[in-house]
Amino acid sequence: MPPYDDWNVLVEEEEEELQDTSFFEGKRDVILFCIDCSESMQELRDDPVYEDVKTSHLLTALDAAMQVQKKKVISGPNDWVGILLYNTSRRNENNTRTSEIKKGTFVYQHLAPVSAPSIQELMGLIDEARGDPDTLKNKAPPLQGNKIPMGDVFTSCNWVLRDSAPKTASKRVFLITDDDNPNPSNTKLLTSARTTLIDLTQSGCQIEPFFVSTPEKPFDVTKFYSSVLPSNVVGNEQEDTGVLPDSISITRMDDLLEQMRFHEQPKRALFSIPLELGKGFTIGVKGYGLVTEQRKGSHKYFVDLGNRLEAVTSRTAYIDEEKGAEVDRNKALFGMKLSGGADQLTDSDNKIGLGASRVVRAGRRPFYTAEEVQSFHTMGLEPGIQLLGFKSRKELSFEDNVKHSLFIYPDEPKYSGSKRTFSALLQKMLEKKKIGLARVLVRRNSSPVFCAMLPQAEKVEEGGWSEPAGFHLIVLPFADDIRAPPLEKEFRASSPSKDAAKVWIEKLLIKKGFEPDSYPNPSLAYHNAQLQASAFREEFDAESFEDLTRPKYDMIHKRAGNLLKEWKKAIATDEHFNNVVLTTGTKRKADISVDEAEVRSKYESNMLDKLRVDQLKEFLKNKGQSVTGKKADLMGRVHEWLQMHP
Amino acid sequence: MPAERAGYTVTMFLVDISPSMGATRTVELPPGPGGEERSVEMTNLEWALQFVKFKIQEMIFGGRKTEQCGVIVFGSDLTANIVNKKHGGYEHVEEYIPIATPNSGTLVRLDELRPSETYGDPIDALIVAVETQDAYLERKRTWTRKVVIVTDGASPIETEDWEKTVKKMTGLGVSLTIVGVDFDDAELPYFEEDKSAIKRVNESFYAHLINSLPEDLGLLGTLSRALLSLSYPNVKETKSTLSQTMLRLGDVETREEEALQIGVRVAKCTALARPGGWKRFFGSTMESDDDDEEGERKTIFRELQKRTEYLIDRSPGDAQGKKDVPVDASVDFDEDELQDEDESQLEKVEKENLIKGFKHGSTYVPCADGHFLKLNTKQGIDILGFLSEKNFNRAYPLSEVSFVFAAPSSAPDQVAFSSIVQAMFEKGVLAIARMVRLDGSDPKIGVLAPRVWPDIDLMLWAQMPFADDVRHYTFPSLTTLISRTGERITKHPYLPTEDQLDAMGRFIDDMDLTDEGEKDENGKLQPWFDPRLSFNPTIHRTKQALFHAAVVPDIATHPLPAPHPELTKYFEPPKRVLKRSREALEDCIEVFKVKEVPKKVLKNRKDGHVRAADEDEDMILLDSKGPPKKRADATTSPISQAHKQRATSDSETETESEGEELLLPTKPRDGPGLPTPTASPDPELDPQRAPGRIIGNTFPLRDFRKNLSQGDVVTKAVEDMGVVVREIVERPFSGRRKDEVIECLKVLRETCLKEDEIDAWNDILKGLKADCLEEMGNKAFWSELKKLGRGISLISSSEAEKLGATSNLSESAAEAFIQQ
Repeated sequence: MPPYDDWNVLVEEEEEELQDTSFFEGKRDVILFCIDCSESMQELRDDPVYEDVKTSHLLTALDAAMQVQKKKVISGPNDWVGILLYNTSRRNENNTRTSEIKKGTFVYQHLAPVSAPSIQELMGLIDEARGDPDTLKNKAPPLQGNKIPMGDVFTSCNWVLRDSAPKTASKRVFLITDDDNPNPSNTKLLTSARTTLIDLTQSGCQIEPFFVSTPEKPFDVTKFYSSVLPSNVVGNEQEDTGVLPDSISITRMDDLLEQMRFHEQPKRALFSIPLELGKGFTIGVKGYGLVTEQRKGSHKYFVDLGNRLEAVTSRTAYIDEEKGAEVDRNKALFGMKLSGGADQLTDSDNKIGLGASRVVRAGRRPFYTAEEVQSFHTMGLEPGIQLLGFKSRKELSFEDNVKHSLFIYPDEPKYSGSKRTFSALLQKMLEKKKIGLARVLVRRNSSPVFCAMLPQAEKVEEGGWSEPAGFHLIVLPFADDIRAPPLEKEFRASSPSKDAAKVWIEKLLIKKGFEPDSYPNPSLAYHNAQLQASAFREEFDAESFEDLTRPKYDMIHKRAGNLLKEWKKAIATDEHFNNVVLTTGTKRKADISVDEAEVRSKYESNMLDKLRVDQLKEFLKNKGQSVTGKKADLMGRVHEWLQMHP
Repeated sequence: MPAERAGYTVTMFLVDISPSMGATRTVELPPGPGGEERSVEMTNLEWALQFVKFKIQEMIFGGRKTEQCGVIVFGSDLTANIVNKKHGGYEHVEEYIPIATPNSGTLVRLDELRPSETYGDPIDALIVAVETQDAYLERKRTWTRKVVIVTDGASPIETEDWEKTVKKMTGLGVSLTIVGVDFDDAELPYFEEDKSAIKRVNESFYAHLINSLPEDLGLLGTLSRALLSLSYPNVKETKSTLSQTMLRLGDVETREEEALQIGVRVAKCTALARPGGWKRFFGSTMESDDDDEEGERKTIFRELQKRTEYLIDRSPGDAQGKKDVPVDASVDFDEDELQDEDESQLEKVEKENLIKGFKHGSTYVPCADGHFLKLNTKQGIDILGFLSEKNFNRAYPLSEVSFVFAAPSSAPDQVAFSSIVQAMFEKGVLAIARMVRLDGSDPKIGVLAPRVWPDIDLMLWAQMPFADDVRHYTFPSLTTLISRTGERITKHPYLPTEDQLDAMGRFIDDMDLTDEGEKDENGKLQPWFDPRLSFNPTIHRTKQALFHAAVVPDIATHPLPAPHPELTKYFEPPKRVLKRSREALEDCIEVFKVKEVPKKVLKNRKDGHVRAADEDEDMILLDSKGPPKKRADATTSPISQAHKQRATSDSETETESEGEELLLPTKPRDGPGLPTPTASPDPELDPQRAPGRIIGNTFPLRDFRKNLSQGDVVTKAVEDMGVVVREIVERPFSGRRKDEVIECLKVLRETCLKEDEIDAWNDILKGLKADCLEEMGNKAFWSELKKLGRGISLISSSEAEKLGATSNLSESAAEAFIQQ
């Protein structure tokens, strides 16, 4: 990532986009999987997918942990992962790395940066366990008799994190268990679990539970966990509100991986700013990027030190070429490019030196400081959202878009009462079908923009992700961003053609609408598959790669094939079909338009050579064919095309 | 007149440097930092040159070679022009800067102009300009010709023969702009009082001259308005280029007869324009040259060149954590280290020695090309299916928008395309499509929306998120709250009440912008705010600033004028709307009772333990400029220092009202002891926690510890804890909580010692003692404290000194305090 001052200062091109990504890259995520190994977790069951294969909750949990690591190694290569097992009689061997952890807990995978070798090791274990169901029982024998107090588990987690995790990371414990009452009828143990968990969260660690619920053994959170888990498990509430923490996720074992995917990335706010609804009426909101284009990681530079590769950091230096010396970036001033030509400089200027320069009396400064430049960017505004008023939902048109939207959610700890106010605003705007208009400055080093505040009603989906309640901020284009349409007049189809099209459109309607989950980015997946193969020292198998975004041809042809044929017929009889387009292009260009009928007649009379090269090219271009090569090649291609499309 | 096109223009600036231009005037400047009025003295010539320099600056900014200009001065002591050379006469007219593409040198030369001792004739200058321009453009007949005269109109004009000049100018299509210093202007409005007779005559002559030119060639205006108009935001229009591609549906390779393929063109509909043009400069002062008669020191500013350097840290053992971690690469080499480490530990590496690769966890995967094999893709837009408009999520589009048109040269394509657009439009559907811009480039997923315009049918494309682009963060429900016992809560401070909802509803109605804009041509009121009229303030402000700096000698004495009002017109809601909604707003403030929670002040922990950063801190980090390590130490970064000061001053202003509340524990409140929320809607967050406080009365110790550990709200926590303890002690049956309170006090004292809150502790304890020993006080509690002895008493100076703090209490006083 770039050095901090680079993205903090200003004026860099695409400044805001850069900030977003470096913000996410800048912070490491640490996940400690904390998996229950008791008898019930290890009990063998039929695999839901494969026949004659036995699996256990523990195996599924380890598999999920492995899958998460596999994703992390690419999406967050700086992140750390570790696996701690509890309710096992296995003891850690003597180690110097961490303090002696509590009895009954065992660190299977030390907290370390995600890496190919450790993932492969885990994959090996999982494969072995699939082959021989007793593997896990041998590797991590379940504790006989009483289960260990949950307080001890949390304490162990705390120690492991304290001793091994990097200090500036966001730390999370993924707790996976099927036991809803691990320490029954023992209030003392309950209290100790509660206090040790508070210790854990106070050291800056969040806990994200994955409670395994099965039809035979449903998980009742109120038995134990609802009184143990602090309501600030999410980390952004300050007071105990008497409300059950929202992150208690009860999941069926089959959904574990799916569920984890939602928690894979730690929730990070991009900004936390005041939202001023009116003078004296301000609440706090936090902003999140729920949709942001995920790009391939850009390549980095390394240097070979003989025994290892070392990553190189880049830095931009500013050089005074005249002196050949580097200038402290903080001392640089800002101004407009002086155009280079020294031809008109006066004699005295020429003596001073070459290159662009400006000479003034000492003490004068015809350039701006970084702070001044920043004030031009922010227009002197402080970060915040200023509501300007409300408009009809219909006024937000499709074309008013320039970049991804942002999502805001109330920030109660900053302004008490934010939640109820936000909630009331949201409910009423939905009811009145209104959008808000707001002036938004998200950070001190960004520029003000106008945004539509689009209310989002809460939608809950069974077992999966729900649309959260909140506002989407849709950044509106400025006059400077809007382009005039380069074409203004074309032929319009008549009703029969249009009606013919309606029929097949109807057949190809996707009922559920657009669901991003159905379209994984193929080029990103292709890239990552190669990256992983290379890291695992495996052969990359391009054949087995499937691009899920390609059109489902069979479905399309089955549903609409015949109708498309009909439509084509309708089009061919349309009154404008054979019109010749009058090009009003620039005078310099010869008239190269040539209509298909003419080309076809030349082709049929074997007189394609009568057409000029530019006409052939234009024709081919319109048919999406290659326009390279000599005239003979072009004629051949036209010939071929017309033959194929009688 | 040839068609107006960018560039291909020669502008002649005719500058009056007659003695009268040396008159000084006071030009108002934008208010200073304290809002004080400021102004600067300058000559009329300097003022007029600002206009010329702005115009030239704009040419330099545009960077077109074919945008050229020349400068002719009249009233010069010299005579140097081509007409004089040929025919004689035309004296005191000097071709000061020959026609060329301007550069910074042009501006420097303009700055050297000073008022002269003689008068020159503007009509002579005009003839010279037209001749010079014509000679220069002899072989460039299609170029646009412009002449700009800048004058105060105070010198006599030879008004013979000017009709001939007008005729010639009309013939050549020369446009003439006359910018007058203090000319009367009805539109501004400006009328100069006690105008000299000669100026009055000259002004009407100029008006007559302009009127004699064809309508689109002449323009007369006063200088102040010309300068103002220069700061009006001027949108740089960019024509979108059409790139050609294919729209496909179905398998066009093998099932061609039932698949469609239409030639289309894609062009940008929205494209983010960015402010820019800043270059970095560095000034160095040099000693004056011997031949510099003024003998003054000068500063030379040079543009800095950017250079990318690659750095490596060769000391693997030093980097923290590295030696322990069994991996083959540096894992902790991150921004923190980079900022902290002495640069000397870093070593520069030549770019040639670098290997490209990707990070894969803690390992690296070398990759010589910088990219792997690419997916084999074919240019075109493939329709995957259609979706109903009502299922379209407006928050998804994540790109600029593009137009999609049928190929302009093919009627069949147009008809086919139009039939689909119309059908989609009438059915209210959008198409889901996959776009590949060029063969082999990465596919994008997106939607196509139909648009039926008067003369053309088209689609609009916007990119939509892939599965990878959506972040599935979970947020607590805003409407469904579940209690710890698993029941749904219907009344809670987080849930708005009916009253609150009603108030918000009225506020929304009153703040409606639907009919608050200008009237359209049919007299119908338009909504307030239109993106097409909203200028990007940053772009235009930046441009204004760039130009300003380029034409003034010093920013301090010539500060940048305020932004053009057009840039800030949408910054605040319209006045009428604000007025209308005032009552609804008051109601909202009344019923919602939103309160800002005191800001945390960052402070160093004394135990040296670095606590994990919470996410809020990053906000501050992003705002501040310092490297991240320094965030814990607010004093080292000037900006966080500012934060801190602001935070303090904020709370100071608030204590007027709120502080009183905090400090008066006897303030009557409704049922403060009830553990359950009252039946009536109670906006308080926690009935046991007074508004504005961060410590509740139910679990004070837990709240206190939590606050200490979370962020350093130490001062506030200590203060609140003191108040809470005193409240509890005062209450009936406080004996039941005796042990708890004592525990609280112990922890509080310890914290105060450690966190340098010694005075706060001493005040709290004194207050507590006074409370207890009152008539109706809790004497029993004080005797309990007495039993604890010196350890719980006031903090003395000797105790404080051990921790490097101070106290104004002697040890004996502390000892005595607890005994009494």
